[in-house]
Amino acid sequence: MSTNRHKLHILILPEDDANRQIATGFILNESLNQRAIQVLPSAGGWKRVVEKFKDDYISTMLQYPNRMIVLMIDFDNDQEARLSFVKHEIPDYLINRVFVVGVKSEPENLKREIRKTFEGIGEALANDCSDNTNKTWSHALLIHNKVEVDRMISLVRPFLFQ
Amino acid sequence: MLQRLYVHNFRCLENFELTTKNLPSALLIGKNGAGKSTIATALEVIQSIGRGINRVGQLVKPKDFTRGRSNVPIRFEVEVLLNQTLYKYVLALELPEKFRELRVFEEQLMVSGKPIYSRKEAQVTLYTSSQNSEANFLVDWHLVALPIIQEQSETDPLRLFKTWLSRMIILAPMPSLMSGGSNGETLEPNKEASNFGEWISGLLSRYPAAYAQIDKYLREVMPDIQDFQNEQIGKDSKSMIVRFENNNEHLSVDFKDLSDGEKCFFLCAVVLASTKSYGPLFCFWDEPDNYLSLSEVGHFITSLRSSFKSSGQILATSHNEEAIRKFSNENTFFLDRKSHLEPTLIRLISEIPIAGDLVDTLIRGDIEL
Repeated sequence: MSTNRHKLHILILPEDDANRQIATGFILNESLNQRAIQVLPSAGGWKRVVEKFKDDYISTMLQYPNRMIVLMIDFDNDQEARLSFVKHEIPDYLINRVFVVGVKSEPENLKREIRKTFEGIGEALANDCSDNTNKTWSHALLIHNKVEVDRMISLVRPFLFQ
Repeated sequence: MLQRLYVHNFRCLENFELTTKNLPSALLIGKNGAGKSTIATALEVIQSIGRGINRVGQLVKPKDFTRGRSNVPIRFEVEVLLNQTLYKYVLALELPEKFRELRVFEEQLMVSGKPIYSRKEAQVTLYTSSQNSEANFLVDWHLVALPIIQEQSETDPLRLFKTWLSRMIILAPMPSLMSGGSNGETLEPNKEASNFGEWISGLLSRYPAAYAQIDKYLREVMPDIQDFQNEQIGKDSKSMIVRFENNNEHLSVDFKDLSDGEKCFFLCAVVLASTKSYGPLFCFWDEPDNYLSLSEVGHFITSLRSSFKSSGQILATSHNEEAIRKFSNENTFFLDRKSHLEPTLIRLISEIPIAGDLVDTLIRGDIEL
């Protein structure tokens, strides 16, 4: 019965294939409720993420109030301006259910610094979430996500982690 | 965990090496005829030996030589890590002139680099161990020696290795053949899963706690399932019935009447419960996305990958883009073959320069090795 649209669930919309692989690693976490999370095909660029969100997801999120979404984008070292731009595109009535996260520059840099595969990075991020730690999320290329991640974890933990 | 598979001169596999060290799950992709399913066939040869089939003629046929090249032996090598111990098994088969059936040319089992036994044609040498002094004896050269060498104890490496081989799960299921009926019990499912009834019976009879694991998985994918029962219908026969419940209404369905996809949910549930009950297991599943709706493929693949992450190993093949997207560049192998006259080539996606999206590139057929 796929992800139950009527139960709390979260979708991940990655910007590109690197982000898609990170998200794929994230959902392999064994304590995750697999039916409550789904990684969508990558959008093909951060602007396409925003377009796709507006074109395809705003209406379905209105239809399904238990749906949340993570817009997974690269900040390309322009974090404040880009976050502000993306947030501006999210309607006020959905802002609580939309999360914008991503690497400060781009995932390839994170991969080089952490010396893990993209999937391995995703697994480490999920372990942080399930174990209530901050080892990988506190990396210099990810730490800027703290506010958004804390907000997301507090909302998704009850249904996402078993 | 399978570390390495080497196959030579067997169908389209020439000097073929698949290295799966540190990969709890991996995906094989490539065009039709690239050799993905032939890997399953090669693994089936090894699995069959573990299951006690040792007549060479029942394992390989003369037509299995690559392009009929019968003057070169067919060679299989597997390296498997079990309880931090490396097992290496080598089997080479040849077809001398005027022979109609292949015979063993060379065979060897090594554990942590030390030979347990080795063989050249009919001559077998069983090496000195804590349980044996060295022995030399002859075995019919049309019989593989591994199944017939006596194990000395339950912890004998020979037994551990054979048990692991016999419990390899190699699946290319045909749901129409999965009736849910059984006339016995087994922990050795066949490739088509036509003995699914026997397998689930064997699992539940030896590991009753597996029911809870199967039930948990099925409830996630079929929320209206109430339970399933393996009813006795004859002295030695059982038949599975699945019961559904919704708004206090009940429906009983014979297992054989479930949809193909629903039968695959059951199969997945039993694979997951088996690896928890008597694993770690190795599973090769040819196109696990077959018969599934698009909305289910991703969850199905992720469940398998997640469950095999901590123990065991799963290799899957796929042409389905949603399934392919549930793997990554470091655990996706691309197989390619220039023509039917050339061998299968294999490389990790992370080692191939790909511009843009992998699935788009596959759709265009642009990847070549």
